[in-house]
Amino acid sequence: MSTAMRSALAAGLVLACSAGLFAQEEQRDWKIFGEKVYTATGDVIENGTVAVAGGKIRGVTGGTRGGDGKNSLRAAAVTPGMVDLSVRVGAGTDSVEQSREVAPDMRTAESVDVFDVDWDVQARSGVTTALVCAPDFDVIGGLGVVVKTAGPSGVRARTVKADAVLRGAIGSQPSFRNHPAFGRPDDFFSRRPTTRMGVEWELRKAFYDAAAARGSDERAFPGSDELRSVLEGTRPLMLQTWTTQDIRTAIFFKEEMESEGLGHPRLILDAAAEAWKEPDLLARSGAAVVLPPYPLDGRTSDNSFMTLDSAKLVHDLGLPLALSAHGSGDPAARLDRQAGFAMRGGLSFEAALQAVTIAPARMVGVDDRVGSIEAGKDADLVLWSGTPFETSSRVIGVVIDGRLVLDPRPTE
Amino acid sequence: MLTLASLVTLALGPVLAGPLPSATGSREAEAPAVLFVRAERVYVRPGEVIDNGAVLVRDGRIVAVGRDLVAPEGARKLSGKVVCAGFVDAWSSFGLDAGSADDQRTSPATRTVDALNEYVDPRLRLEVLGAGVTAARLNAGSSSREGGVGALVRNRPEPGADAVLLGDCCVAASVGLTREGRGRDVFDSLGEVDKLVGSIADGLNYLRDKNDYKVDLEEWRKAITEKEAELEKDFKKAKKDREKDEKEAEEKGKEYKPKKYKEDKKPSPPRYDEDKEVMARVANGELPLVVQVHRCAELRSLLEGTERFDRLRLVIAGGSEAMDVADELAERDIPVIVWPAPLGRPRPDEFEDADLGLAGRLEAAGVTVLLGTGGQAGASRDLPLLAALAVGHGLTRRQALAALTTDAAATLDVGDRIGSLETGKDADLLILDGEPLASSTRITHVISHGDLVVGQ
Amino acid sequence: MISTTKMLTTGVLAAVLAAPAYPAPASDGGADTYAVRAARMLLADGREVEDAVLLVEGGKIRAAGRGVDVPAGVPVLEHDGVLTAGMIACHGYSGTRGETGDDTRSVLAEARIANALDLGHSDFANALAAGITTLVITPAPDNLAPGSTAVVKTAGGTILSSAAHLSLSFTDDALRANRYPTSYGGALAELDARLADPSGAFAEAVAGRLPVLFEVSSRDETQRAAEFATRHGLGGALHGARRAGEVLSAVQQSGLGVIVGPFDPGTPGRQLDSVVALGGARVPLAFGLDAPQEDGDALRLSAAMCVRDGLDPALAWQGLTSGGADIAGVGRRVGRLEAGLDADFVLWSGPPLDLTSSVVEVYVDGARVFGGVR
Repeated sequence: MSTAMRSALAAGLVLACSAGLFAQEEQRDWKIFGEKVYTATGDVIENGTVAVAGGKIRGVTGGTRGGDGKNSLRAAAVTPGMVDLSVRVGAGTDSVEQSREVAPDMRTAESVDVFDVDWDVQARSGVTTALVCAPDFDVIGGLGVVVKTAGPSGVRARTVKADAVLRGAIGSQPSFRNHPAFGRPDDFFSRRPTTRMGVEWELRKAFYDAAAARGSDERAFPGSDELRSVLEGTRPLMLQTWTTQDIRTAIFFKEEMESEGLGHPRLILDAAAEAWKEPDLLARSGAAVVLPPYPLDGRTSDNSFMTLDSAKLVHDLGLPLALSAHGSGDPAARLDRQAGFAMRGGLSFEAALQAVTIAPARMVGVDDRVGSIEAGKDADLVLWSGTPFETSSRVIGVVIDGRLVLDPRPTE
Repeated sequence: MLTLASLVTLALGPVLAGPLPSATGSREAEAPAVLFVRAERVYVRPGEVIDNGAVLVRDGRIVAVGRDLVAPEGARKLSGKVVCAGFVDAWSSFGLDAGSADDQRTSPATRTVDALNEYVDPRLRLEVLGAGVTAARLNAGSSSREGGVGALVRNRPEPGADAVLLGDCCVAASVGLTREGRGRDVFDSLGEVDKLVGSIADGLNYLRDKNDYKVDLEEWRKAITEKEAELEKDFKKAKKDREKDEKEAEEKGKEYKPKKYKEDKKPSPPRYDEDKEVMARVANGELPLVVQVHRCAELRSLLEGTERFDRLRLVIAGGSEAMDVADELAERDIPVIVWPAPLGRPRPDEFEDADLGLAGRLEAAGVTVLLGTGGQAGASRDLPLLAALAVGHGLTRRQALAALTTDAAATLDVGDRIGSLETGKDADLLILDGEPLASSTRITHVISHGDLVVGQ
Repeated sequence: MISTTKMLTTGVLAAVLAAPAYPAPASDGGADTYAVRAARMLLADGREVEDAVLLVEGGKIRAAGRGVDVPAGVPVLEHDGVLTAGMIACHGYSGTRGETGDDTRSVLAEARIANALDLGHSDFANALAAGITTLVITPAPDNLAPGSTAVVKTAGGTILSSAAHLSLSFTDDALRANRYPTSYGGALAELDARLADPSGAFAEAVAGRLPVLFEVSSRDETQRAAEFATRHGLGGALHGARRAGEVLSAVQQSGLGVIVGPFDPGTPGRQLDSVVALGGARVPLAFGLDAPQEDGDALRLSAAMCVRDGLDPALAWQGLTSGGADIAGVGRRVGRLEAGLDADFVLWSGPPLDLTSSVVEVYVDGARVFGGVR
């Protein structure tokens, strides 16, 4: 191979790779035409053109015709980029500090791997924004970070909001590696909690200690500030709660904090598969609910059981609702398919659309930047081959921050 | 949008576009590809150089080599400092499915052509071509005790039928390799040699049985014909005799047994055994046997055991301790495929005494040295660098080049097709900007079966 | 392998008996003065000088280059080949016999790998025979702070530095499932705390007196380490980054050098492209070896693979000598053919980056320690 060709190949590769995880374009101005533009604000614009410049949405105009220029894209439908609050990608066992069960000061932003190939799968399936939290091996795992799924290679460049939520888990997962003090005392896994009660105890203790540390330097401990931010309501608390008893525990915990005068936590219940079993309790709590991927045979993690109409039920209770796909790249389980399942269970199209766009954005406080097609927001858009969420429709184009991640145009 | 695939296609566009376009419009659309390559030094073969010569290629073949050649009309003209034949990796796994290459349970009947992976990473394929390696010997099960039938494969930029140069080029075997970290016993290794020798003997016997059968069959046919002629003559008499015998038997109450002629029994062929079929071809010298063996005890035992097969063509792969038997290897004309890679420590036991000077020392002792990349995945690209390392540790440049071209082709029975720049051979050539194997030399063009696959 | 002493003794004996009288070097390098005239001398920046002379006195280089005045009576050795400074491999485990890490704690910043070295081990002779005169010995990256690296000469047993870098591991090998820390976040928190109130080796690193060797593996680890270095103003080098060239901006901003290799035959082209990209961006480069798992010859093979892929040969040579010495912190002692530096040099049969060249003789501290009898 000649030097010239070799250098060209190398240079091209470096250019391709240094700009992003995989071949990435620079930010460009676009005119994106959709026969239907679903803004997720409640409005559907017919024959709309979304103008994109400088990585932001400049505006949407109805009654237009798609152009053929170099910067023109067209599709049957355009929606905002989807938001997944439980993406479970880019953070593995190296992201959770298991030497202690309560680690509120650990920042997932410091351990997320933006080079994970799964990000590309997410981006190409239309998920443009994701909340990354540590896997739930700890009772309190740390601070989750909201990132874009594609863009310049670097956490800082892709972060939408750092330390957006405090992550915790109730249930069997945080305790599964622990064992009582007999047996093998040679590692730190011989500790409590070993049961659900123990997990709950650790959770409550952490917050009680944090509250007690208020105004006292002596009683402060690593993470007490973060815990207090939850009590003050400035940062939401996201708890993984698969089963009914876990959901009940989480809500009772919140009510305990309130009744003891310790604070007013804002609760997000993640993977609340059995939310359908406790409608009254949920309604009373006002908690936001993130539903896990719909298990096709009903049973899912922690032996919980999810019904097809769970999404409709939660929505009808008036609670904030988000759907999630747990990072699945499987075409039968991706986020757009989850919206389809929710609709099949009775959820309306607009509610399903909002449940994968503006609602999750609002839950973690990034709705000023993403979640809907409105002037001033980030240019995160998904182009579809037909009506979104239909089994016969595909994601054919994805734009993130004005960068074309998936090109809908036929190859020359 | 910039993607790797589009970049590769862009870079290769003119190359992959298909047959080269003809220069004048009067030609038909499917004009044969003609290349005219001129160079300051044309390496016909190591030691035979034509100064300021040229090579004419047409339809994938070399049609002329010489000093006073003229480019025909419409030919694509290329030039460079040096032109030589493409390199052959005599011990490679490039283009072979990984599972098959490592398969430990092959038998002589396993065929490498059944395990070719045509969809190797295109970038890696180009890198290997760009390094000048235009062909390779691949062997399924090359590290198993009884490997399969190896193939000599041409490295083509795209999958195609012309990739296999010789589907049956050799048979592989190995003795004494460290397998799966299991403890090794000296008796195990020598037992492996015995088994291998036994397998060759079985093949030879099988061959003899087949030949005997052929002879017997002929004789039987002749005897039958004679007997039938005889019977024709005495038919009536024979019929009377038979009726008399039958009546006699009936009277005596015995069962009549008709007289059986020897000729009635047709000779049966030896039972078909696919492994023995292959080993028969090895035993009679049709297919060379490439044995990977390193320790001197096993080498000695192997040489001793195979001495009686006077038509067997033995090739040693590895041969870390081959210097101990160098004289016999030279005398019996047994080539050694050396893998000149720097090995660290700890290393598998059989490589304990391996070092980069092996190739040079074997050459000095009169042994034919070939070079290969030890079947390491993806390493074919780096064959010229390993060859250079061997030169740095004593191998002569001339033998290194011969190892990569003429000697490899000759040993693997494709010497009539590749390995040197001679009329009638396939056009696998390299155009370089300096002496082959010097690290500062760049390969500017690679021609594979008459197609310009690297370079403009 | 023949021991150094044996080689020296053979050299002495042969020299006494041989016709062209080369004064036998005293075993400690002595006060001998001699000159070497080589057909070509390769300087650290890749320039070649023809018909150059190296003047050696007392184990140090007195002068090097063209037109060097050789005082009368000083013996001159002729070499019809190339003369270069000895090479340096900036990462490896030679002479440690596997004792490269301690499992009990994740932070052992005060540990020194120099204390675990067997300087007479054959690993060093193997490196010497390949033209490597200086080695950086590193603790294994299995702990968050496994200790300090050492820089040694491959002959004569000289330890140039017993604490050349503070090694910090950002790889997931340092994160054990059953030992604190188990996560990148925990590791960063621990290191931040140690650097906020530094003592011992950490204090030296913060003060800029002890460069840091960042052990990394994947691209996210490379980025994390580079950003950590930038944040804390730490200098030093990255090692183990297989694709550092793809996170160039973070690496450039940190000012860290990058130690690349070793590359085995068959290494994916992407890793070699990464080295070419680093070279193109003028990031300081050096080559590592991972001996004894890798043979000494693998160092030049790695460099040759990068050059074939497009790395500027001058940068490759720099990485093997002066650049490597600078990254190892011993640039004022070795790595260049300059007056005042140690007389560690190699006589080659041809250009060293050409793999068809071989080592003819090796000199350390002015004494011939490898190579044929004259």
